[in-house]
Amino acid sequence: MTEFFASLAAGVVVFVAGYLGLRGPLGPQGACVLAYLASLLAVLGVVGGAKAMRSYALGREPEEKHGVARYFSFDVDHKVVGIQYTAAAVVIFLVGGLLALTMRLELARHGLQYLTPEQYVTVMSLHGITMVVVALIATAGGLGNFVVPLQIGARDMAFPRLNALSFWLLPPAVLLLLASPFLGGLDFGWTAIAPLSTQGTTIGKQMFVLAFVTAGFSSIFGGVNFVATVLTMRAPGMGWNVLLYQHLFWYYSHPAVYIMILPAFGAVLEIIPVYARKPLFAYKLVAGALMTITALSFIVWAHHMFTSGMWMLLKLPFMVNTELISIPTGVVFLAVMGTLWKAKLRLDSPMLWALAMVANFLIGGLTGIPLADAPTDLHLHDTWFIVAHFHFTIMGGAVFGFFAGFHHWFPKMTGKRLNETLAKTQCALMFVGFNAVFIPLFWLGNHGMRRHVADFPEWMDPVQTFASLAALVVGSSVIVFSYNVLTSLRRGEEAGMNPWEALTLEWKAASPPPHGNFKTPPVVSGEPYDYGVEA
Amino acid sequence: MKNKSAVAVIAALSALISGGLYLLFTRFPTMPLAASAQAAHVDSAWNGLLIVEGVIYALVMGFLLYCVFAFRAKDRREQGEKFDRSRGRFVEVGWLAVSIALTLSLAALGAHELRELIKDPTADIDIEVRASQFSWEFYYPQFKTYGAKLYMEKGKRHRLILSSKDVVHAFWVPEFRIKQDAVPGKAIPMILTPTKLGEYTLLCNQLCGRDHYNMLATVEVLEHEDFESNMKAEF
Repeated sequence: MTEFFASLAAGVVVFVAGYLGLRGPLGPQGACVLAYLASLLAVLGVVGGAKAMRSYALGREPEEKHGVARYFSFDVDHKVVGIQYTAAAVVIFLVGGLLALTMRLELARHGLQYLTPEQYVTVMSLHGITMVVVALIATAGGLGNFVVPLQIGARDMAFPRLNALSFWLLPPAVLLLLASPFLGGLDFGWTAIAPLSTQGTTIGKQMFVLAFVTAGFSSIFGGVNFVATVLTMRAPGMGWNVLLYQHLFWYYSHPAVYIMILPAFGAVLEIIPVYARKPLFAYKLVAGALMTITALSFIVWAHHMFTSGMWMLLKLPFMVNTELISIPTGVVFLAVMGTLWKAKLRLDSPMLWALAMVANFLIGGLTGIPLADAPTDLHLHDTWFIVAHFHFTIMGGAVFGFFAGFHHWFPKMTGKRLNETLAKTQCALMFVGFNAVFIPLFWLGNHGMRRHVADFPEWMDPVQTFASLAALVVGSSVIVFSYNVLTSLRRGEEAGMNPWEALTLEWKAASPPPHGNFKTPPVVSGEPYDYGVEA
Repeated sequence: MKNKSAVAVIAALSALISGGLYLLFTRFPTMPLAASAQAAHVDSAWNGLLIVEGVIYALVMGFLLYCVFAFRAKDRREQGEKFDRSRGRFVEVGWLAVSIALTLSLAALGAHELRELIKDPTADIDIEVRASQFSWEFYYPQFKTYGAKLYMEKGKRHRLILSSKDVVHAFWVPEFRIKQDAVPGKAIPMILTPTKLGEYTLLCNQLCGRDHYNMLATVEVLEHEDFESNMKAEF
């Protein structure tokens, strides 16, 4: 019954979509998308997906099926799904193979015999994409689904219904691809590289995109299901690497700290030439350095794990890889120093913030090296030395860099200028307060202050009290900041289009920029950081 | 001409900063008492870094401070000069060469001290260190005794075999320097050679729950005779 209603509903949607497409504002493209989604739901309904979801919603165990029909239905047993995947892979392989033979038929002799050039490209594209699907699903989807839950002693996959869904998204996707030759064909190969693929459209191309999205969801669902299954469904006694969590955490979280600091580097290097009235020194080298940091950031994570009990010899490569990061980071300092040399500095508030950031990050960067260095990290790990280090990079670096950018772009964002005296006062208070809080923490860490603890030996009192008082200075700087922003928004001086005499394009728009940004498209007539005069 | 005096001023500023750092680090030693053979290797790597980084810090800060005071625009109409690109290239290559050389030498020093720390796995005394929320227990297999206080013998190599009954803990005595996690399901060895008599505090150094801050134990380093008699006494 459910199947019947699902198909009926889908039929109605297909009809309405077709009608809207022909008569309404949707156009044939939109109509075909709607019709496809409807048919997809219909397929899932007909094979029993709706029923499975309903039994799930009602909290019932999935119904056990028998006979050949189960292989053509929305069956949640991983063994059935595995066989479905395997069979589908073989069938798609045959289709892709026939397409290959068709290509060879045309290619047997020069000249055009059997296919038009358009037909050939369509056949070639379909051969490519169907074979890619086969290569992706055959072993992992077919054999993997059948074997993996058995091999780890699990009752089934972690999410059996999701598993069935990931299979049943596949036949519609493949049918859609195979329909495309009859709907205008494809002319962009299986890679669909833009701008060729976005130039002109046929329904066939639309089908390719829809099929791609559908197959993509299918493999994502399958992928997360495998990860969840292998992580959580292992039989008792089947141990796993107890350090795996730490590896995964840092494999993500170390690159993440560069996601925090690299934009701040970018903002500061953007700002300094404006107030130095000179081009950025070593521009290409520093651009390369930022990309080098990005690349290196993926092969340094285990420097967080020198004390974890991981394999001892791994310490060496992770130590060396991490220390290599100081080379591109040094280039950032070179760019700053080269730009300041013989500059005509304007010490406006954004520049003060940028310079404060550089001074902070110098400490942040240098104190990173003893943490990357395996012998010294064995002492410093998980102490306040690391706490101080990362505050110097993230607070002293990323947050001070943000404030540099905030003061630089505030006039553009709001049309008002901040009060410079207050802005400089805030910068001075926060710089002095921040350094006074965190420099003593390095020393405390070395002398036995662990991170994550609320109490400590009495002899640390003078230093701890000093740091707490200094924290109030940082807090007071934020009060100055809030007061400055609120009063400047209400009665700040009008900023005008380009208060800092900067060269980048945002300063050619009004402050704040109107809807659509530019009255006439800006014309680029020079380098973005080309400040100063010819020598 | 002008460049020469600039170099002199920057050198003077850098000397001033590094002198200040030197006084600071002698007045407030950067490391606590070193009471193990392993501490010597950690401190050697640390001192190498401290000297090189102190000099780098002084030079960069000296340069930045000089620039900020010497190159201020007198009025807002003043503009900097576009620089000579060929000389810029020379500076870039020189900077890279120096930073690569420094980084590799510091890494070599670190690698050397790391090797010194791990090369010899042999030990005279085995001690099983069993961590659990929120206490330490020590078992001496050669003497078949247990205790909640860690006794060690001066000058002997101890193999601490760390394990945990629940979550990850970490063994850290600041005076001994080296630190090792105790991980459930693993027995992780750590070689420690105490070199100075006295009492120290063992701190759990991996957040292990509510009373982590208070997961402490006393470590006592004894002479051979005292250690032996302690092991034989019932406790």
